[in-house]
Amino acid sequence: MKFLLFSTSILALSCAAPYKALKSVPVDQTCVDKFRPQGIATSWYSAGVDVVGKHLSGLLLIKQMPDESQRVVFTSETGVTFFDFEFKAGTFQVKQAIPQLRRKVVINTLRKDFETLLAIPFQQQTIDASVLGDESFYGVTTIGEERAFFVTDDACSVLKRVEVGSKKPLFSIVSSGASPREPETIAIQHHTFNMVINLKKITRHVTE
Amino acid sequence: MKRLKASKISVALLWLFCWSFYSTDAQAFEDYPGFSPLSNIVQFKAQFKEASAKIQSVKSEFIQEKTLFALTENITSQGKFWFKRTNKVRLDYTTPFTYRMIINGDKVLVKDDHKENRINVRSNKLFQQINKIMLDCIQGTILDSKDFTSRVFENEKGYLLELSPVNKSLKDFFRNIVLVIEKKDYSVRSMSLNEPSGDKTVITFTNKSLNTQLQDEIFTF
Repeated sequence: MKFLLFSTSILALSCAAPYKALKSVPVDQTCVDKFRPQGIATSWYSAGVDVVGKHLSGLLLIKQMPDESQRVVFTSETGVTFFDFEFKAGTFQVKQAIPQLRRKVVINTLRKDFETLLAIPFQQQTIDASVLGDESFYGVTTIGEERAFFVTDDACSVLKRVEVGSKKPLFSIVSSGASPREPETIAIQHHTFNMVINLKKITRHVTE
Repeated sequence: MKRLKASKISVALLWLFCWSFYSTDAQAFEDYPGFSPLSNIVQFKAQFKEASAKIQSVKSEFIQEKTLFALTENITSQGKFWFKRTNKVRLDYTTPFTYRMIINGDKVLVKDDHKENRINVRSNKLFQQINKIMLDCIQGTILDSKDFTSRVFENEKGYLLELSPVNKSLKDFFRNIVLVIEKKDYSVRSMSLNEPSGDKTVITFTNKSLNTQLQDEIFTF
Protein backbone atom coordinates (compact mmCIF):
# COMPACT_ATOMS: atom_id res chain seq x y z
CA MET A 1 0.00 0.00 0.00
CA LYS A 2 2.81 2.37 0.89
CA PHE A 3 4.41 1.64 -2.46
CA LEU A 4 1.13 2.29 -4.24
CA LEU A 5 0.71 5.64 -2.51
CA PHE A 6 4.30 6.56 -3.24
CA SER A 7 3.97 5.52 -6.86
CA THR A 8 0.76 7.44 -7.41
CA SER A 9 2.32 10.49 -5.82
CA ILE A 10 5.37 10.25 -8.06
CA LEU A 11 3.07 9.69 -11.02
CA ALA A 12 1.10 12.79 -10.10
CA LEU A 13 4.33 14.73 -9.89
CA SER A 14 5.64 13.48 -13.17
CA CYS A 15 2.33 14.26 -14.86
CA ALA A 16 2.31 17.79 -13.50
CA ALA A 17 3.29 19.98 -16.41
CA PRO A 18 3.54 23.77 -16.14
CA TYR A 19 0.16 25.44 -16.39
CA LYS A 20 1.40 27.79 -19.09
CA ALA A 21 0.83 25.03 -21.61
CA LEU A 22 -2.80 24.51 -20.61
CA LYS A 23 -5.19 25.00 -23.53
CA SER A 24 -8.60 26.44 -22.68
CA VAL A 25 -11.63 24.38 -23.75
CA PRO A 26 -15.40 24.56 -23.15
CA VAL A 27 -16.52 23.17 -19.80
CA ASP A 28 -17.99 19.67 -19.91
CA GLN A 29 -20.69 20.14 -17.27
CA THR A 30 -21.38 16.41 -17.10
CA CYS A 31 -17.76 15.82 -16.14
CA VAL A 32 -17.88 18.63 -13.60
CA ASP A 33 -21.00 17.17 -12.01
CA LYS A 34 -19.41 13.73 -11.98
CA PHE A 35 -16.03 14.57 -10.48
CA ARG A 36 -16.23 17.96 -8.74
CA PRO A 37 -14.67 17.17 -5.33
CA GLN A 38 -17.24 16.98 -2.54
CA GLY A 39 -14.93 16.83 0.47
CA ILE A 40 -14.64 14.08 3.04
CA ALA A 41 -17.33 12.63 5.29
CA THR A 42 -16.63 12.25 9.02
CA SER A 43 -13.81 9.73 9.24
CA TRP A 44 -10.74 8.70 11.20
CA TYR A 45 -7.49 8.05 9.39
CA SER A 46 -4.17 6.67 10.42
CA ALA A 47 -1.73 9.36 9.30
CA GLY A 48 1.93 9.36 8.36
CA VAL A 49 3.67 12.65 7.71
CA ASP A 50 7.09 12.74 6.08
CA VAL A 51 8.65 16.15 5.95
CA VAL A 52 12.27 16.95 5.05
CA GLY A 53 13.49 13.55 6.15
CA LYS A 54 11.52 13.37 9.39
CA HIS A 55 8.58 11.06 10.00
CA LEU A 56 5.62 11.53 12.29
CA SER A 57 2.53 9.40 12.65
CA GLY A 58 -0.80 9.75 14.38
CA LEU A 59 -4.54 9.73 13.90
CA LEU A 60 -6.42 12.27 11.84
CA LEU A 61 -10.09 13.01 12.37
CA ILE A 62 -12.15 14.81 9.76
CA LYS A 63 -15.47 15.76 11.29
CA GLN A 64 -18.57 17.34 9.78
CA MET A 65 -20.16 19.40 12.55
CA PRO A 66 -23.90 20.06 13.02
CA ASP A 67 -23.35 23.79 12.37
CA GLU A 68 -21.91 22.87 8.93
CA SER A 69 -18.39 23.70 9.97
CA GLN A 70 -15.66 21.12 9.43
CA ARG A 71 -12.94 20.16 11.87
CA VAL A 72 -9.58 18.51 11.20
CA VAL A 73 -7.90 17.13 14.30
CA PHE A 74 -4.52 15.40 14.48
CA THR A 75 -3.58 13.37 17.56
CA SER A 76 -0.83 10.97 18.47
CA GLU A 77 -1.72 7.27 18.67
CA THR A 78 -1.24 7.51 22.41
CA GLY A 79 -3.77 10.30 22.69
CA VAL A 80 -2.16 13.75 22.67
CA THR A 81 -3.90 16.31 20.43
CA PHE A 82 -1.42 18.09 18.17
CA PHE A 83 -3.78 20.42 16.32
CA ASP A 84 -7.45 21.13 15.82
CA PHE A 85 -8.49 23.29 12.83
CA GLU A 86 -11.95 24.65 12.10
CA PHE A 87 -13.16 25.53 8.61
CA LYS A 88 -16.42 27.43 8.74
CA ALA A 89 -18.22 29.48 6.07
CA GLY A 90 -15.03 30.69 4.43
CA THR A 91 -13.18 31.26 7.69
CA PHE A 92 -10.35 29.33 9.25
CA GLN A 93 -9.52 29.08 12.92
CA VAL A 94 -6.84 27.24 14.83
CA LYS A 95 -8.83 25.92 17.75
CA GLN A 96 -5.78 24.28 19.23
CA ALA A 97 -2.15 23.65 18.32
CA ILE A 98 0.79 22.62 20.39
CA PRO A 99 3.52 25.27 20.60
CA GLN A 100 5.83 23.40 18.23
CA LEU A 101 3.25 23.79 15.44
CA ARG A 102 2.27 27.39 16.09
CA ARG A 103 4.32 28.80 13.22
CA LYS A 104 2.76 30.70 10.35
CA VAL A 105 4.42 28.68 7.62
CA VAL A 106 3.36 25.37 9.18
CA ILE A 107 -0.21 26.46 9.83
CA ASN A 108 -0.61 27.95 6.34
CA THR A 109 0.74 24.82 4.67
CA LEU A 110 -1.57 22.54 6.63
CA ARG A 111 -4.49 24.91 6.15
CA LYS A 112 -4.14 24.81 2.36
CA ASP A 113 -3.69 21.04 2.34
CA PHE A 114 -6.83 20.35 4.33
CA GLU A 115 -8.88 23.15 2.78
CA THR A 116 -8.27 21.49 -0.57
CA LEU A 117 -8.91 18.01 0.79
CA LEU A 118 -12.22 19.28 2.15
CA ALA A 119 -12.94 20.63 -1.37
CA ILE A 120 -13.62 24.12 -0.06
CA PRO A 121 -12.18 25.86 -3.18
CA PHE A 122 -14.52 23.82 -5.36
CA GLN A 123 -17.64 25.06 -3.61
CA GLN A 124 -17.62 28.12 -5.89
CA GLN A 125 -19.63 27.75 -9.05
CA THR A 126 -17.25 29.28 -11.60
CA ILE A 127 -15.17 26.51 -13.03
CA ASP A 128 -13.14 26.68 -16.22
CA ALA A 129 -11.69 23.85 -18.23
CA SER A 130 -8.48 23.26 -20.10
CA VAL A 131 -6.52 20.35 -21.45
CA LEU A 132 -2.93 19.29 -21.43
CA GLY A 133 -1.85 16.10 -23.13
CA ASP A 134 -4.39 13.43 -22.27
CA GLU A 135 -5.64 15.19 -19.15
CA SER A 136 -8.49 17.62 -18.52
CA PHE A 137 -8.04 20.31 -15.87
CA TYR A 138 -11.13 21.79 -14.20
CA GLY A 139 -10.00 24.84 -12.29
CA VAL A 140 -11.08 27.52 -9.86
CA THR A 141 -9.12 30.52 -8.65
CA THR A 142 -8.28 30.47 -4.97
CA ILE A 143 -5.97 33.29 -3.84
CA GLY A 144 -4.19 35.64 -6.26
CA GLU A 145 -2.79 33.58 -9.11
CA GLU A 146 -3.17 30.35 -7.21
CA ARG A 147 -5.57 27.85 -8.68
CA ALA A 148 -7.13 24.56 -7.60
CA PHE A 149 -7.83 21.90 -10.20
CA PHE A 150 -9.38 18.52 -10.33
CA VAL A 151 -7.79 16.52 -13.10
CA THR A 152 -9.47 13.78 -15.11
CA ASP A 153 -8.42 11.69 -18.08
CA ASP A 154 -9.47 13.06 -21.46
CA ALA A 155 -12.52 10.78 -21.61
CA CYS A 156 -13.66 11.92 -18.17
CA SER A 157 -13.78 8.33 -16.97
CA VAL A 158 -11.58 8.74 -13.91
CA LEU A 159 -10.57 11.44 -11.44
CA LYS A 160 -6.80 11.32 -11.46
CA ARG A 161 -5.97 13.89 -8.78
CA VAL A 162 -6.70 17.23 -7.21
CA GLU A 163 -3.95 19.77 -7.62
CA VAL A 164 -3.13 23.27 -6.39
CA GLY A 165 -0.60 25.56 -8.03
CA SER A 166 0.10 28.93 -9.53
CA LYS A 167 2.56 28.77 -12.40
CA LYS A 168 3.42 25.22 -11.49
CA PRO A 169 1.93 22.60 -9.17
CA LEU A 170 2.42 23.19 -5.45
CA PHE A 171 0.79 20.00 -4.21
CA SER A 172 -1.41 17.16 -5.40
CA ILE A 173 -3.96 14.96 -3.67
CA VAL A 174 -4.50 11.40 -4.86
CA SER A 175 -7.25 9.27 -3.32
CA SER A 176 -8.32 5.67 -3.66
CA GLY A 177 -11.45 3.78 -2.71
CA ALA A 178 -14.97 3.20 -3.91
CA SER A 179 -16.58 6.26 -2.34
CA PRO A 180 -15.13 9.69 -3.20
CA ARG A 181 -16.32 11.16 0.13
CA GLU A 182 -14.93 8.24 2.11
CA PRO A 183 -11.63 7.35 0.44
CA GLU A 184 -9.67 4.41 1.79
CA THR A 185 -6.33 6.11 1.22
CA ILE A 186 -5.28 9.69 0.57
CA ALA A 187 -1.82 10.98 -0.35
CA ILE A 188 -1.04 14.69 -0.21
CA GLN A 189 2.23 15.23 -2.04
CA HIS A 190 4.02 18.58 -2.03
CA HIS A 191 6.10 19.42 -5.08
CA THR A 192 8.07 22.48 -3.98
CA PHE A 193 9.53 20.89 -0.86
CA ASN A 194 9.84 17.38 0.49
CA MET A 195 6.59 16.68 2.30
CA VAL A 196 3.96 13.99 1.95
CA ILE A 197 0.96 13.15 4.11
CA ASN A 198 -0.36 9.61 3.79
CA LEU A 199 -3.76 8.76 5.23
CA LYS A 200 -5.29 5.32 5.63
CA LYS A 201 -8.91 4.98 6.71
CA ILE A 202 -9.61 3.43 10.11
CA THR A 203 -12.64 1.31 10.76
CA ARG A 204 -13.20 2.26 14.34
CA HIS A 205 -15.10 0.96 17.30
CA VAL A 206 -18.06 3.32 17.32
CA THR A 207 -18.69 4.86 20.73
CA GLU A 208 -20.15 8.22 19.69
CA MET B 1 9.17 17.24 14.47
CA LYS B 2 11.63 16.03 17.10
CA ARG B 3 9.52 17.65 19.80
CA LEU B 4 6.39 15.94 18.49
CA LYS B 5 8.10 12.60 18.51
CA ALA B 6 9.37 13.34 21.98
CA SER B 7 5.86 14.08 23.14
CA LYS B 8 4.67 10.74 21.87
CA ILE B 9 7.47 8.92 23.59
CA SER B 10 6.85 10.93 26.72
CA VAL B 11 3.34 9.49 26.82
CA ALA B 12 4.76 6.01 26.56
CA LEU B 13 7.23 6.72 29.30
CA LEU B 14 4.41 8.04 31.43
CA TRP B 15 2.83 4.65 30.94
CA LEU B 16 5.96 3.23 32.42
CA PHE B 17 6.25 5.47 35.41
CA CYS B 18 2.60 5.08 36.24
CA TRP B 19 3.57 1.68 37.61
CA SER B 20 5.36 3.30 40.53
CA PHE B 21 4.10 6.50 42.14
CA TYR B 22 2.66 8.80 44.87
CA SER B 23 1.97 12.24 46.54
CA THR B 24 -0.28 14.36 48.76
CA ASP B 25 -2.76 17.11 49.72
CA ALA B 26 -6.46 17.02 50.56
CA GLN B 27 -8.98 19.31 48.94
CA ALA B 28 -11.49 19.51 46.11
CA PHE B 29 -12.18 15.79 46.19
CA GLU B 30 -15.49 16.65 44.58
CA ASP B 31 -13.51 16.26 41.38
CA TYR B 32 -13.41 12.55 41.98
CA PRO B 33 -16.78 11.20 43.13
CA GLY B 34 -16.44 8.14 45.33
CA PHE B 35 -12.95 9.09 46.45
CA SER B 36 -11.97 10.98 49.57
CA PRO B 37 -8.66 12.59 50.49
CA LEU B 38 -6.13 10.16 51.85
CA SER B 39 -5.58 10.61 55.56
CA ASN B 40 -2.17 9.04 55.99
CA ILE B 41 0.04 10.17 53.16
CA VAL B 42 3.27 9.17 54.86
CA GLN B 43 2.11 5.61 55.28
CA PHE B 44 0.87 5.45 51.70
CA LYS B 45 4.15 6.79 50.44
CA ALA B 46 6.08 4.08 52.25
CA GLN B 47 3.73 1.32 51.15
CA PHE B 48 3.73 2.49 47.59
CA LYS B 49 7.49 2.68 47.44
CA GLU B 50 7.79 -0.78 48.88
CA ALA B 51 5.16 -2.27 46.57
CA SER B 52 6.57 -0.63 43.43
CA ALA B 53 9.99 -2.01 44.25
CA LYS B 54 8.51 -5.49 44.14
CA ILE B 55 7.08 -5.11 40.64
CA GLN B 56 9.69 -6.62 38.34
CA SER B 57 7.48 -7.05 35.32
CA VAL B 58 3.99 -6.35 34.02
CA LYS B 59 2.11 -7.92 31.19
CA SER B 60 -1.30 -6.51 30.43
CA GLU B 61 -3.91 -5.73 27.83
CA PHE B 62 -5.39 -2.28 27.58
CA ILE B 63 -8.33 -0.36 26.20
CA GLN B 64 -7.73 3.26 25.32
CA GLU B 65 -10.54 5.75 24.79
CA LYS B 66 -9.72 9.15 23.39
CA THR B 67 -12.46 11.74 23.84
CA LEU B 68 -12.50 14.97 21.88
CA PHE B 69 -14.70 16.99 24.16
CA ALA B 70 -15.77 19.84 21.85
CA LEU B 71 -16.38 17.52 18.94
CA THR B 72 -18.37 14.89 20.89
CA GLU B 73 -16.15 12.33 19.23
CA ASN B 74 -14.50 9.24 20.65
CA ILE B 75 -12.14 6.65 19.34
CA THR B 76 -11.43 3.42 21.16
CA SER B 77 -8.30 1.39 20.59
CA GLN B 78 -6.90 -1.76 22.15
CA GLY B 79 -3.56 -3.36 22.58
CA LYS B 80 -0.97 -5.03 24.76
CA PHE B 81 1.54 -3.65 27.23
CA TRP B 82 4.74 -5.10 28.67
CA PHE B 83 7.10 -3.67 31.27
CA LYS B 84 10.30 -5.19 32.58
CA ARG B 85 12.36 -3.56 35.28
CA THR B 86 14.20 -1.35 35.05
CA ASN B 87 13.83 0.33 31.72
CA LYS B 88 12.06 -1.85 29.18
CA VAL B 89 8.59 -1.03 27.85
CA ARG B 90 6.62 -2.24 24.91
CA LEU B 91 3.25 -1.01 23.65
CA ASP B 92 1.42 -2.74 20.82
CA TYR B 93 -1.79 -1.16 19.56
CA THR B 94 -3.59 -3.88 17.68
CA THR B 95 -6.95 -2.42 16.78
CA PRO B 96 -8.34 -0.38 15.01
CA PHE B 97 -4.82 0.56 13.89
CA THR B 98 -1.41 -0.97 14.43
CA TYR B 99 1.30 0.90 16.25
CA ARG B 100 4.29 -0.39 18.20
CA MET B 101 6.63 1.41 20.55
CA ILE B 102 9.51 -0.33 22.29
CA ILE B 103 11.70 1.45 24.80
CA ASN B 104 14.84 -0.39 25.79
CA GLY B 105 17.13 1.78 27.84
CA ASP B 106 18.18 4.74 25.74
CA LYS B 107 16.87 3.25 22.54
CA VAL B 108 13.35 3.60 21.18
CA LEU B 109 11.64 1.87 18.27
CA VAL B 110 8.47 3.32 16.79
CA LYS B 111 6.66 1.38 14.11
CA ASP B 112 3.42 2.75 12.70
CA ASP B 113 1.22 1.92 9.73
CA HIS B 114 3.55 3.82 7.46
CA LYS B 115 7.13 3.54 8.70
CA GLU B 116 9.63 2.33 11.29
CA ASN B 117 11.88 4.70 13.26
CA ARG B 118 14.74 4.15 15.69
CA ILE B 119 15.55 6.93 18.09
CA ASN B 120 18.21 7.48 20.71
CA VAL B 121 16.79 9.10 23.82
CA ARG B 122 20.10 10.83 24.47
CA SER B 123 19.71 12.87 21.29
CA ASN B 124 16.85 14.92 22.67
CA LYS B 125 16.61 17.09 25.76
CA LEU B 126 12.94 16.34 26.30
CA PHE B 127 13.63 12.61 26.06
CA GLN B 128 16.26 13.00 28.72
CA GLN B 129 13.88 14.88 30.94
CA ILE B 130 11.21 12.21 30.56
CA ASN B 131 13.81 9.52 31.11
CA LYS B 132 14.71 11.17 34.41
CA ILE B 133 11.05 11.22 35.45
CA MET B 134 10.80 7.55 34.52
CA LEU B 135 13.80 6.60 36.61
CA ASP B 136 12.57 8.73 39.51
CA CYS B 137 9.34 6.78 39.39
CA ILE B 138 10.91 3.39 39.19
CA GLN B 139 13.21 4.17 42.05
CA GLY B 140 10.37 5.62 44.09
CA THR B 141 11.93 9.08 44.18
CA ILE B 142 9.18 10.57 42.03
CA LEU B 143 7.45 11.39 45.29
CA ASP B 144 10.05 14.05 45.82
CA SER B 145 10.05 15.17 42.18
CA LYS B 146 9.70 18.85 41.42
CA ASP B 147 8.17 18.01 38.03
CA PHE B 148 4.69 17.46 39.47
CA THR B 149 2.41 18.63 42.19
CA SER B 150 0.09 15.92 43.33
CA ARG B 151 -2.94 14.97 45.38
CA VAL B 152 -3.95 11.53 46.59
CA PHE B 153 -7.42 10.17 47.25
CA GLU B 154 -8.77 6.76 48.15
CA ASN B 155 -11.85 4.63 48.20
CA GLU B 156 -12.44 1.08 49.34
CA LYS B 157 -10.66 -0.55 46.42
CA GLY B 158 -8.08 1.89 45.22
CA TYR B 159 -6.02 5.02 45.38
CA LEU B 160 -6.40 7.93 42.99
CA LEU B 161 -3.32 10.00 42.24
CA GLU B 162 -3.73 13.35 40.52
CA LEU B 163 -0.45 14.59 39.09
CA SER B 164 -0.19 18.12 37.73
CA PRO B 165 2.92 18.96 35.74
CA VAL B 166 4.95 21.94 36.80
CA ASN B 167 7.32 21.85 33.86
CA LYS B 168 6.14 23.87 30.84
CA SER B 169 7.02 21.26 28.25
CA LEU B 170 4.75 18.74 29.98
CA LYS B 171 2.14 21.40 30.77
CA ASP B 172 1.74 22.05 27.05
CA PHE B 173 0.39 18.54 26.69
CA PHE B 174 -1.31 17.72 29.99
CA ARG B 175 -3.46 19.60 32.48
CA ASN B 176 -2.99 16.62 34.74
CA ILE B 177 -2.59 12.89 34.78
CA VAL B 178 -4.86 10.80 36.96
CA LEU B 179 -3.90 7.30 37.99
CA VAL B 180 -6.18 4.85 39.74
CA ILE B 181 -4.21 2.19 41.60
CA GLU B 182 -5.48 -1.08 43.03
CA LYS B 183 -5.16 -1.38 46.78
CA LYS B 184 -4.69 -5.13 46.58
CA ASP B 185 -1.42 -5.08 44.64
CA TYR B 186 -0.66 -1.43 43.86
CA SER B 187 -0.97 -2.08 40.14
CA VAL B 188 -2.49 0.55 37.88
CA ARG B 189 -6.16 0.08 37.03
CA SER B 190 -6.46 3.12 34.77
CA MET B 191 -4.67 6.21 33.66
CA SER B 192 -6.31 9.39 32.41
CA LEU B 193 -4.31 11.90 30.41
CA ASN B 194 -6.21 15.17 30.67
CA GLU B 195 -5.30 17.88 28.21
CA PRO B 196 -5.57 21.64 28.63
CA SER B 197 -8.38 21.75 26.03
CA GLY B 198 -10.60 19.36 27.97
CA ASP B 199 -9.82 16.45 25.66
CA LYS B 200 -8.77 13.31 27.46
CA THR B 201 -7.42 9.83 26.94
CA VAL B 202 -8.35 7.10 29.39
CA ILE B 203 -6.38 3.87 29.35
CA THR B 204 -7.78 0.94 31.30
CA PHE B 205 -5.58 -2.06 31.98
CA THR B 206 -7.08 -5.52 31.93
CA ASN B 207 -5.82 -9.08 32.32
CA LYS B 208 -2.76 -7.92 34.23
CA SER B 209 0.02 -10.34 35.16
CA LEU B 210 2.61 -9.05 37.57
CA ASN B 211 6.09 -10.49 37.97
CA THR B 212 5.82 -13.17 35.34
CA GLN B 213 8.87 -14.18 33.35
CA LEU B 214 9.24 -11.83 30.35
CA GLN B 215 11.91 -12.69 27.80
CA ASP B 216 14.27 -9.88 26.81
CA GLU B 217 13.40 -10.67 23.19
CA ILE B 218 10.06 -8.93 23.70
CA PHE B 219 11.97 -5.67 23.97
CA THR B 220 14.63 -6.38 21.37
CA PHE B 221 14.79 -4.56 18.04
